[in-house]
Amino acid sequence: MAVVVYVVAHAADTEFSMFWVFGLAFGFVLQRGRFCFASAFRDIFLLGHARTMKGLLLGLAVGAVGFGLVMGRQVPMTSLGIYPPSANVLPLGIHTVLGGLLFGIGMVVAGGCVSGSIYRMGEGYVASWVAFAGVMGGLLVSAYTWNWWWEAHISRTQRFWLPHWIGHSGALVVTLLALAAVYVWVVSIEHRAGMVIPPVQPAHTQPESVADDLRSGARRLFVQGWPVLPAGAVLGALNVLLFTAKEPWGFTGEVSRWSIGAASVVNIAPGPLAGLESLPGCVLVPSDGRFFNHMLFLVAGMFFGSFAAAVGAGEFKIRVPKRPVRYAQSLGGGVIMGYGSGIGMGCTIGAFFSAIPSFALNGWVFGGFLALGAWIGTHIIRRID
Amino acid sequence: MMRTVSALKKLTGDEQALEVVTDHAPALETIPTQAARLGFRTDIEESGASEWRITITRTEVEEGA
Repeated sequence: MAVVVYVVAHAADTEFSMFWVFGLAFGFVLQRGRFCFASAFRDIFLLGHARTMKGLLLGLAVGAVGFGLVMGRQVPMTSLGIYPPSANVLPLGIHTVLGGLLFGIGMVVAGGCVSGSIYRMGEGYVASWVAFAGVMGGLLVSAYTWNWWWEAHISRTQRFWLPHWIGHSGALVVTLLALAAVYVWVVSIEHRAGMVIPPVQPAHTQPESVADDLRSGARRLFVQGWPVLPAGAVLGALNVLLFTAKEPWGFTGEVSRWSIGAASVVNIAPGPLAGLESLPGCVLVPSDGRFFNHMLFLVAGMFFGSFAAAVGAGEFKIRVPKRPVRYAQSLGGGVIMGYGSGIGMGCTIGAFFSAIPSFALNGWVFGGFLALGAWIGTHIIRRID
Repeated sequence: MMRTVSALKKLTGDEQALEVVTDHAPALETIPTQAARLGFRTDIEESGASEWRITITRTEVEEGA
């Protein structure tokens, strides 16, 4: 089916097929690495466990090196004060702070961020479908309030790109040092929490033939869960490739297009949204009356990539929440996430995983408040449980 | 995961093991770590399609045996 979609999409627009392939790859890696950005933050505070955060930090480091090379070619003279056209260098202000905070709370309460919800939808988690519906609702609510945010605050804020002050090399060094500092911090949290057990590795037997060896390799790739470090590195590398091809990884803008489009069908869509044409990243996208665009293929590809990976590994299963409160958590958390990503102009991907490698200060601020929000979220779910 | 930790903390001295059945693959990483921190070891076996049985046993039982 993936091939059929590729062929049809390619015939319509080569960009569609390219984004379909990227989406499949992102979804496959997210599922195989069980790579959930929400758990990366949540597990530090809830469990003193930094497994996924270490992979996330490696992905950011890989992204920073790759983005640095691309942006160095896009903007060779940083003293001119111009920005790389498609990098996620976003206006920094209270909306960044509140967006990160709300998104952090919402993702922990919902049990997954937007990318985590998409890949778990592909695994058969019903709660993640509910969370995704909540995200769509939250994005629509943020669209209703967007013009107020734009007039009152965002239009007066600045974008801060590190190479303007310290050049490309300086920005890369500072970014990598900051990521190393975060790594030391999360490892210290792990040690304070007590003994740290390395992940259990399955026993390896000496393959008796070439066929055995190939079967074993295929099993590690398609059946066993990937170690988190290679998964994070591959996600970072895919992000660099996507940025090189067109733009960084991010999709909440596309999801907002679906929300606003659905609202327009029943005549409750917000009016024209101010200032969007001047903003990069995952800003809200008004409904344009079209059904297909390249980002739709990216999001759909992530879902199908995860679905294919889960089926191949024997991990697909329709999982219905046993407790009714889980639906409320998913929906409520999803709405909070959606609103946060609407005003913050992205989620854990666009406003964080693609913004820090863009050497954008907004990525660090969004990430800091994501962490604070996740910490608050862990207190909320402890009370719920 | 949180329910497992809570159940482990509630185990009395006579209760030496806990069995957890889960269909959430990430729990295969988090439960063993948290169990070890509380003095338990874990054995994981696949009990069905995308379902695992995790047997959590007090470490001192193993050592005393």
